[in-house]
Amino acid sequence: MLHTILIRAKWRAAFMGITGAVLLTALLLATPGSMALAAPVAAGWRSAQTAIDTAVQPQPLHPTFPLLDEHGENVLDSGLPVSTMNTCGACHDAPFIASHSFHSDAGLNDFTAPGTVQGGQAWDTSPGIFGNWNPITYRYLSPAGDPVLDLTTADWVKLLGARHAGGGPAVYDRSGGLLTELTPDAANVEASALDPAPARARVNGLPVPWDWAASGVVEMNCFLCHTPDPANDARTAALQAGQFQWANTATLANSGLVTQVNGEWQWQPEAFDAEGRLLPEFVTMQDPTNANCGQCHGLVHTDNDSPLVLEDSGGWSTQTTGQIISPQRIADSGLNLADKESLSRSWDIHAERVLACTDCHYSLNNPIYYQETDDSRPDHLTFDPRRIDLSEYLYRPLHQFAKGQSAQSALAPELDNTLRRCESCHSVEKSHDWLPYKERHAAAVSCESCHIPTLYAPALQMVDWTTLQADGAPRTAYRGLADSGSDLITGYQPTLLPQQNGSASSASLTPFNLITAWYWVYGDPPRPVPQRYLEAAWLNGDAYQPEVLAAFDSSGDGQLDAAELRLDDDAKTALIASRLAAQGLANPRIQGEIQPYNINHDVATESWAIRDCRACHGDTSRITTATLLAADLPGGVMPAFAQTDQVSWSGELFTGDDGQLYYRPQTRAESLYILGHDSVYWIDWAGILLFLGTFAGVITHGGLRFFAARRQAQRHARRGAHQPALRDMYMYSVYERLWHWLQTVVIFGLLFTGLIIHKPDKFGIFSFSYVVQVHNVLAVILLVNAALSAFYHLVSGEIRQFLPRPYGFFDQAIVQVKYYLGGIFRDEPHPFDKTRDRKLNPLQQITYFGILNVLLPLQVITGALMWGAQRWPDVSGALGGLPFLAPFHTLIAWLFASFIVMHVYLTTTGHTPLANIKSMIMGWEEAGAEAAGAEAVGAETPTQTQGTTLTTDHSPLATDH
Amino acid sequence: MKDFKYIWIIGLVVTALLVIVPIASFVRGESEPETDPWAFVPAAPIHTDHTDLLEGPFNSGPEVTAACLECHEDAAHQVAQTAHWTWESEPVLLPGRTEPVTTGKKTSLNNYCIGIQSNWPGCTSCHAGYGWEDANFDFSNEGNVDCLVCHDTSGLYIKSKAGLPADGVDLLAAAQSVGAPTRNNCGSCHFNGGGGDAVKHGDLDSSLLNPPDSIDVHMGQHDFVCTDCHQTEDHNIKGRSISVSTNNVNQVYCTDCHVAEMVHADERITVHLDAVACQTCHIPAGAVREATKMHWDWSTAGQDLPEDPHVYLKIKGSFVYEENFTPQYAWFNGAADRYILGDLIDPSQPTVLNQPLGSIDDPTAKIWPFKIHAANQPYDAVYNYLLQPKTVGEGGFWTDFNWDQALRLGSEVVNMAYSGSYGFAPTTMYWPLSHLVVPGEDALQCQDCHGENGRMDWEALGYYGDPMRWGGRSVTTGAADTP
Repeated sequence: MLHTILIRAKWRAAFMGITGAVLLTALLLATPGSMALAAPVAAGWRSAQTAIDTAVQPQPLHPTFPLLDEHGENVLDSGLPVSTMNTCGACHDAPFIASHSFHSDAGLNDFTAPGTVQGGQAWDTSPGIFGNWNPITYRYLSPAGDPVLDLTTADWVKLLGARHAGGGPAVYDRSGGLLTELTPDAANVEASALDPAPARARVNGLPVPWDWAASGVVEMNCFLCHTPDPANDARTAALQAGQFQWANTATLANSGLVTQVNGEWQWQPEAFDAEGRLLPEFVTMQDPTNANCGQCHGLVHTDNDSPLVLEDSGGWSTQTTGQIISPQRIADSGLNLADKESLSRSWDIHAERVLACTDCHYSLNNPIYYQETDDSRPDHLTFDPRRIDLSEYLYRPLHQFAKGQSAQSALAPELDNTLRRCESCHSVEKSHDWLPYKERHAAAVSCESCHIPTLYAPALQMVDWTTLQADGAPRTAYRGLADSGSDLITGYQPTLLPQQNGSASSASLTPFNLITAWYWVYGDPPRPVPQRYLEAAWLNGDAYQPEVLAAFDSSGDGQLDAAELRLDDDAKTALIASRLAAQGLANPRIQGEIQPYNINHDVATESWAIRDCRACHGDTSRITTATLLAADLPGGVMPAFAQTDQVSWSGELFTGDDGQLYYRPQTRAESLYILGHDSVYWIDWAGILLFLGTFAGVITHGGLRFFAARRQAQRHARRGAHQPALRDMYMYSVYERLWHWLQTVVIFGLLFTGLIIHKPDKFGIFSFSYVVQVHNVLAVILLVNAALSAFYHLVSGEIRQFLPRPYGFFDQAIVQVKYYLGGIFRDEPHPFDKTRDRKLNPLQQITYFGILNVLLPLQVITGALMWGAQRWPDVSGALGGLPFLAPFHTLIAWLFASFIVMHVYLTTTGHTPLANIKSMIMGWEEAGAEAAGAEAVGAETPTQTQGTTLTTDHSPLATDH
Repeated sequence: MKDFKYIWIIGLVVTALLVIVPIASFVRGESEPETDPWAFVPAAPIHTDHTDLLEGPFNSGPEVTAACLECHEDAAHQVAQTAHWTWESEPVLLPGRTEPVTTGKKTSLNNYCIGIQSNWPGCTSCHAGYGWEDANFDFSNEGNVDCLVCHDTSGLYIKSKAGLPADGVDLLAAAQSVGAPTRNNCGSCHFNGGGGDAVKHGDLDSSLLNPPDSIDVHMGQHDFVCTDCHQTEDHNIKGRSISVSTNNVNQVYCTDCHVAEMVHADERITVHLDAVACQTCHIPAGAVREATKMHWDWSTAGQDLPEDPHVYLKIKGSFVYEENFTPQYAWFNGAADRYILGDLIDPSQPTVLNQPLGSIDDPTAKIWPFKIHAANQPYDAVYNYLLQPKTVGEGGFWTDFNWDQALRLGSEVVNMAYSGSYGFAPTTMYWPLSHLVVPGEDALQCQDCHGENGRMDWEALGYYGDPMRWGGRSVTTGAADTP
């Protein structure tokens, strides 16, 4: 019986050993994945080539051409505006280009009834700028049938056409017909415009018929992106004036081809040859430059010699995120930026490295850039050379551009992540050697999170359309300024939110700017209150309405300053609501919305990226830093999160003690466990209590022993009692001592480094990255040591000593417990003599049995899986991922720490307090004469102690020492 | 075993090794090891106060030198071996020639004041010796070596015609002040090359006497003196310039102290090092503070026009000065060709007096920044070679404003035929820029050279176009023959 159990136990121990060995082998073999992809070798093509004379020429390739009007006549003859469709379409497939461009479509193709746009507002009608309402631009494209109009199609072109490339909704109506074929009709939202009388003077905003045939339409504007110096201001002016057909012509105002005389555009014959074609020097067609893109998208500054300045808001992306595209060093810019001299980095490393927007956002059928998606490309192919010919491309260049995935625009979702992401060009594997767990980091954190640490321009923080300033503008606040309204820019750190990105299986942290907007809506189904109603409610000409002033002007100075102009009590909110209701708007009420704006540009190189581990792995992790959203809650309305399936709003929205509104991301809700930042409260407390409790128990027990020993000593002294004879006994072999002390050092090291990793802020002098690596190495040593010692114990048979013998086990355990509770204080001998063959008493046996079979394996497995979160994320994930494994690992660490206290204390219960430790060092132990005698004769006779019979095992393994 | 009571020490050591060795082997530090450039900077010599060692009185420069030589016995002999004394190179074989030639200030023409022969006393005020007045100066008389010009630290020692101490110089005070050369010592001649501050080099001027960090990172931020880089052994000072020295020896390299591959964390920059000299990016502009002469037209000299030392002088002609100029770039392998007296020219084409050697096909050549100084200078219209005019002194052009007479007198001295018919031919000289090194954060950025507005003329350099797009040169760099 005993034998069978013993064998089973051996097998179990052997299995443990084998498992350990396998694990270890796996650890050692898991070298970084093969990176055999050959880097393109710089080809020696140059020497093989003959001279190419046309390497650099001011006007490559593009032949000269005539400018044609909408009838195909030369504009020099007709004097009419140029038609890009006819002019460029003479060679390029212009209809193909215009119909395959989300810049042109702007949502027209997806135009639908209000309330049916996925993830949109209840009144949105498309995912694009044509129908997707944004509280920053505020104006609303009215759907057919709305009794109160805001923007008709013509109004939209006038106002938002400035941010539209032409074509699409500027040419076609919402059912796909030509706008020019619509009959002017005040009742048709597509063939009318609001009465252009000054908005302030008028409330009703009655529509009047709009004659598209007379105004013309805005064809897709090739010149805006393909000429070096497009006159965007002149274009915008033509749009605002309703001269739609002239907008594209006006874009050429700086080209010398056309000039405006008394408001009329006149073609300049001297720019054309005798056949009516452009003279060669006027043929300036080019690939779009960063400056072309910047006209609509944000501040682009390409010149290193003139200091960059920020005018107005800087353009859309600059306004919403603070992103600026420029190669210039920030220190050389003209911004009033705090600590500017130290900012020797460029605004955007890719601009600095002479990349153009179009290098990433390329035309998707450009044969140079085209890449097949991983989904369709066979696994065995890394590159498929078959692609369209350049001439085919030039005929039909797809004007769908590679794009990423932005949370604030749902346009063309089928093209999401068509652009090369960072890792398509950059190798994390080869460039982040200093970073432990780089795969794990790469999976959980987007490159931008570390490489866009700070935005150095102000970005919109809050837009409050519930109140209007005297000039009719909403109340706004910007982040990245020293304080609100200050001229000193400090920059800001983006908010990191989990975003579903590309084909990655899980969300990764990505930088965002959060813009919170409040606005009035009315009716059911709801609509945003048109701006002119707001103005009528608040303003009378250039002044506030008297009733408004009376309610808001607490200082009585006849003006509303920043502190007064806010809906901070119900009376004020009710007043404005009633003034809106009085204009016929049903149930006016305030809504708020928090919009996330992706930040992907203004990337910094390694030396400016976040490299301090504790920026995230610490108490004040920037991942969970609360972002200030707004200084107050207009009307007391808590804003809702923008509905988007890309960003996870798992954080906490709260009003701080200062009354300001904050958003704090929560990592735990996202299956993220940030070592050094996250911890499970009860585990730490339970662990500390257990540890301290053990400590207290040990102190108490030790104290009692101490006093008992003193009494005993006095008694002995009185009686002159004899000391029992002691003899030395060889207790621990050299190897046993070595593995024990090695394990001691390693376990202490693991506990200490683990504690640093757990609470790095308490150990500021240690490098987090270094400590993590040391912890891992120590773990491997522990594992190897444990495996070798398991092997030793198994082969030598010493393993038996660790196996509790079922027979009489409880009796023996009780005896041992009673000894610790009583006998030890009375200087009684140990109930079980410690001998070379029987070093462990029953309590020790059961303790080690638990530690070696439960705690150690669990700690090794959880630790290995935490390490493996980067190698085998699926395995780790299936077993609970870091949010489960890490606290578990912590808990067991506390148990180990407590065990060590107990373990060390119990070593002092030998014949003298240091006897056991000494024997573990020197091998020899002073033992009672009786036991020592038994050892000395190598007796295999039963040892009689305290009436308990112990049987020495007779297995063959036991005889070899 | 029991008796071996120190076994625990062995155990402790073994245990410690078992823990420490794996940690040391597998844990990566956070930063790459980097060589320390300071390790290569010579320690400042300990100054010996000479006040009590030299009693004087000294009535002449050579007397001071004699006093120096009492202790520093070899010093004058050492100096006499150097170009600071000889103003002449060892014979070198220049491209296209069969015989070695000597170059150097002693005989060469430049396109500033043209040449020293026949004009000695003015030019030799910067000679590290005393009394070079004419062709008969005795270079073997080492007693005429001028110790003070390099070692005076009083700042009161000034040289005058023929290198003699200026009137009123307190030689005893100067001698007692001697120490290691300061910026003032070197600068007194080298900052004033061409006859005035900043005139000649484009990267050496008085702004280096006390430069801010942004002008020169070594002499500003790190407070270097010249000899920290131009390290000197036995009075042989490292460094040279292709205006007078054509071969590639005794050079000072940035890489003497900086390991370029390690300095640049960015591999994209590191791959530039095969083709681009450090100076190219780290010296974005020449003559940052003090304007330097870019063009000199001798043909307009001699007229009574309004004078302005930076625009026109009657004795010299008209000038163009430029401040903070953008360098011009050319391949350069450290060596240069040299115009030698008597070489034929094509007066319709600019003659390059010191063509830097190297091309895109030369693996040892790199793209360097240069100041290119252009001039119109006299040549013999019949024999088609450049002429050496006598400018200084009796019958010189600066005295009589008579070109024919000045050229005749000059030609006699250099023993060349003069036809009596002269003209003015365009010439250029290359001045490689090596000083005014700016801090890394002010170095050139990609787009300064690449892209639409880049400053490089790629085709002139031999590329098909911007190598960022068209690819770099494909020559293989030979064995470690470029530092």
